[in-house]
Amino acid sequence: MKTRLALALASIAILVVHGMVFYQQFFHEWETYQKSYFKQASTLSKNEAEKAVLDSRSPKIEQIMVTQFGNARVDRCTTCHIGSDDPRFKDAPHPYKAHPYSEALGDKQVNGKWERRHKFADIGCTVCHDGQGRGLEEFYAHGEDEFWTEPMLGYVVQENWKPEYQKKLKGKEFMQANCTQCHTENDFASTPLVNKGRELFITKNCYGCHRIEGVSNGTLGPDLSDVGKKWKLDYIYESIVDPRANSKTSFMPQFKLTEEETKALTVFLKSRRGFNFAETNLDRYRAALDKGHVETSKPPTTDTNTENADKGDTTEATTSAPSTSVALGQTLVDQKACAACHKIGDKDGGIAPDLSFEGLMRDDKWVVAHFKDPRALVPDSIMPAFSFSDNEYQAMSAYLMSLTQAPAAASAKENYQNYCARCHGDKGDGHGMIATYLDPYPRDFTNAGFMNSKPEDRLIKSIQEGVGGTSMPAWKNVLNEEQSKELLDYIAKTYTKQKRQNIKPKSVPEKNPVAMSTQSNARGEQIYLQRCTGCHGRKADGKGANSLDILPRPRNLLNSEFVNSTSDKRLFESIMYGVQGTAMPPWVDYGLTKNDVGDLINYIRSLNQEKNKLMAANFVKACH
Amino acid sequence: MVYSMSKKSQKKSFLSAITEFPAAVWSSVFRNPLPHTDLGRSRTSFTNFFLHMHPVKVHKHTLKPFFTMGLGLMSFFLFLILVVTGVLLMFYYVPSTAQAYDRMLDLRGSVAFGVFLRNMHRWSAHGMVAVVFLHMCRVFFTGSYKKPREFNWVIGVVLFLLTLFLSFTGYLLPWDQLAFWAITVGTAIAGYAPVVGDQMRFLLLGDTTVGQEALLRFYVLHVAVLPLITTVLIGIHFWRIRKDGGLSRPDEADKVETAEAVVPLEPALAGAGAMAYTASGDIDFIEKKKYGIQGLVRGPFTKVGNVPDNTVYSWPNLLLAELFVFILTVLGILVMSYFFNAPLEEPVNVMHPPNPAKAPWYFLGLQEMVSYSAFWGGVGIPGIEVLILLLVPYLDRGKEGVGKWFAKERLLANTLFMTFVVVNIILIIIGTFFRGENWEFASPF
Repeated sequence: MKTRLALALASIAILVVHGMVFYQQFFHEWETYQKSYFKQASTLSKNEAEKAVLDSRSPKIEQIMVTQFGNARVDRCTTCHIGSDDPRFKDAPHPYKAHPYSEALGDKQVNGKWERRHKFADIGCTVCHDGQGRGLEEFYAHGEDEFWTEPMLGYVVQENWKPEYQKKLKGKEFMQANCTQCHTENDFASTPLVNKGRELFITKNCYGCHRIEGVSNGTLGPDLSDVGKKWKLDYIYESIVDPRANSKTSFMPQFKLTEEETKALTVFLKSRRGFNFAETNLDRYRAALDKGHVETSKPPTTDTNTENADKGDTTEATTSAPSTSVALGQTLVDQKACAACHKIGDKDGGIAPDLSFEGLMRDDKWVVAHFKDPRALVPDSIMPAFSFSDNEYQAMSAYLMSLTQAPAAASAKENYQNYCARCHGDKGDGHGMIATYLDPYPRDFTNAGFMNSKPEDRLIKSIQEGVGGTSMPAWKNVLNEEQSKELLDYIAKTYTKQKRQNIKPKSVPEKNPVAMSTQSNARGEQIYLQRCTGCHGRKADGKGANSLDILPRPRNLLNSEFVNSTSDKRLFESIMYGVQGTAMPPWVDYGLTKNDVGDLINYIRSLNQEKNKLMAANFVKACH
Repeated sequence: MVYSMSKKSQKKSFLSAITEFPAAVWSSVFRNPLPHTDLGRSRTSFTNFFLHMHPVKVHKHTLKPFFTMGLGLMSFFLFLILVVTGVLLMFYYVPSTAQAYDRMLDLRGSVAFGVFLRNMHRWSAHGMVAVVFLHMCRVFFTGSYKKPREFNWVIGVVLFLLTLFLSFTGYLLPWDQLAFWAITVGTAIAGYAPVVGDQMRFLLLGDTTVGQEALLRFYVLHVAVLPLITTVLIGIHFWRIRKDGGLSRPDEADKVETAEAVVPLEPALAGAGAMAYTASGDIDFIEKKKYGIQGLVRGPFTKVGNVPDNTVYSWPNLLLAELFVFILTVLGILVMSYFFNAPLEEPVNVMHPPNPAKAPWYFLGLQEMVSYSAFWGGVGIPGIEVLILLLVPYLDRGKEGVGKWFAKERLLANTLFMTFVVVNIILIIIGTFFRGENWEFASPF
């Protein structure tokens, strides 16, 4: 009997649960909406026939099959939004409300009746709005489900988005990103945010690093051609305002953008879906053939200038007609947004060095070479290699060379503020405004261990001649030796503070005591692999396992510009006796002999020689 | 009554043929009316296809709810739910990378009971993995794998592996991020096997990565190959229960309690599942005893008649118990499916693995071990575990402690098995809750 009682109870329980399940599965919110709509529409109907039709309708799932726009879509939105195309419901509450008619969307009034430009029967809803067309519950249909990749643009923010972004990503203007899927013209009037974003993509220099099909060809950063398909608004927005949030190793600068500009860029990037509904593969192939190369290397505004300059011989144009060339260079520098990162006059991007008096710091040859390949001269530079014609490089260089007006300054303090603070910081601690974007990092003047262990004449030489392979230029045309000395005194007094002691003379040979040879290199490599890789890395690029915990960072030993401009004597001293104020220990204490150090120097030099050889080989190949 | 009517109706009128038609159909389908006598009860069990799996009489010990806890039945009923919901889901599912995910959305959005079917299927699948494992634990801790049930244990282990594989193949089908990366991780573990690892993985995926070929293969395995093998093995598993003498029970259970017991029984022969073996394994005929024809087929046999013992009729005792377990199982799954929706994450994005990418929960113990050593964690240790499980009845040959939970005589075996269970559960818990980005330790709190 006990079994029977348990059985009876379980049976009752299962009956109850079945009831619950059936209720849950049979009750649909959309049915109540539809019933209510039929009732309201029936009272509004003008004649009996219409009324009868409405009265006899019973709820069913409404759907629009959209086949003309990319992958086939099934939009069931009108199941709830059943009055969306019924003008009598223009003031009704959601979900009965009729979709607004607007001339901006191309809707027209014909005989007092609105006619839609975008007919819902053809285009559905999600083509413009995003969301999940198949969904029949608000949570899923509107894309509130955090797993849905296309929440309704500008209307729905997902719960897992950062709260501070959520409110910024609302607003129907975000839908412009979808208008662009068909209206691909660059100047389409109804998508001002996309147009502005596209412009900002150029003027804020995004194009230098990022590739977007048909817009730019950068290679330093990720390809953004289909970024709008891959990511939701919050991720795109976050990647702009906080590049390191999602990619810890990103070296993308945090650009100074207003709220409006960030929004425009976000919308523009969201509009990049890799393909447009409006074009077929054949169209794109034809377009690529016609263009030959991407359009933005020659935007329409500079076309006339470029063409004029192209007519003359490139080299002669720069020498015989410097004024035109400088003018062209100035136009290019202005339009190509160099100031999005650099400081030029009163424009300042706050990311890269001051070019306001570049003519005093670098020479024409260096600037042109640097334009073509920034990392050939400053190996860890984040500056992208912009693609211009030779003539344009020359012109921009000529313009920069014409900038020879350094800000006037009297005292060493003013000099420091004018010239040094941008990188080395107002407090002399190396954390200047642009320091995070420089590699090697600017020297910390408050590090007395380093500052006082180097002879003054070497420090003055660094000011006067600059430091090869880094962003430190030669200041000799700006500051004479006397001024440099004063500046150094000022730095020592203000930042280093500790008094300089007499440096004990060390036994350091002028030249590497070991002759360069394959055997010596091999020995050097062995020692390097045993002793140096922890900090300087297996590739000798300064990125060893410990490197992130060390400031100043370990030297990149593949920085040929630096290594080749540094004497054997200095390398020998740094290895043998360490570098005070840094993590580089005196290896003499760890048993390295003079010959060992000599082998190491040979090995390091060979790394850079081979690189040179390789580069030379490539250069020869390229010339042929 | 129906019986006798059909016999004497030699000159039946047309009219009476019409009026008797429903009864005639009924009696042709169900040969017995609802039984009121012991003979009727026996006959009902015997003549009904679905009931003939059962013995006519079943030992009282078998019906003790806390001896088996109904775990084996529960596994079977979950399998039935899976078959039924699975077949219904098949009407909507398309094993194509382009359509599978959309079909999931349709199931959730517009198919009547679609989301509920999917929930039931999902939770039953997870439930089956758990319950089959618990069933295995029950069999071990009660020492029920011992002679003569060794081979049924082996079939059981194979069924457990099949359950895992069924669940694993089904995991890919929704074609969302969860599915894709779990299978990517799971098949990567298979690739760690020595020599044949890569080939095995390729055979499973039909490609070097999870893609359309893998989806199709997993689908076919999931809906045809594996269920078929499982069904056959379940059949054998059930058949062997009877042929091996019913469920295990301790010797004490066979002591006759009835006062009518006149003929003292040989302990070895008592009850429906008597162990009528001599030490040599031959069937031991005992002169004084009467037994049915089945006794000749193989030792254990079903007894019909008035031999006093500790058995009761299966109809209705066993059937009611089974019905109860069935209702309980369905109830559990319904409640679970009512309150919790089966997960459906983003559509597959091959470029963006979630961090961490986790295998299904029952393989997270493996994944946790793989994080220490790919070969040993993914192949070596699990391989040895399965091998030992298969060999358990042949390694542990003691005859003591059968049919009792945690018998004292089996302390060593039970401790070893408990360690195996606990270690695996701990590994699964660590893998599920305590592993975050890059498989680093992360607190869930």
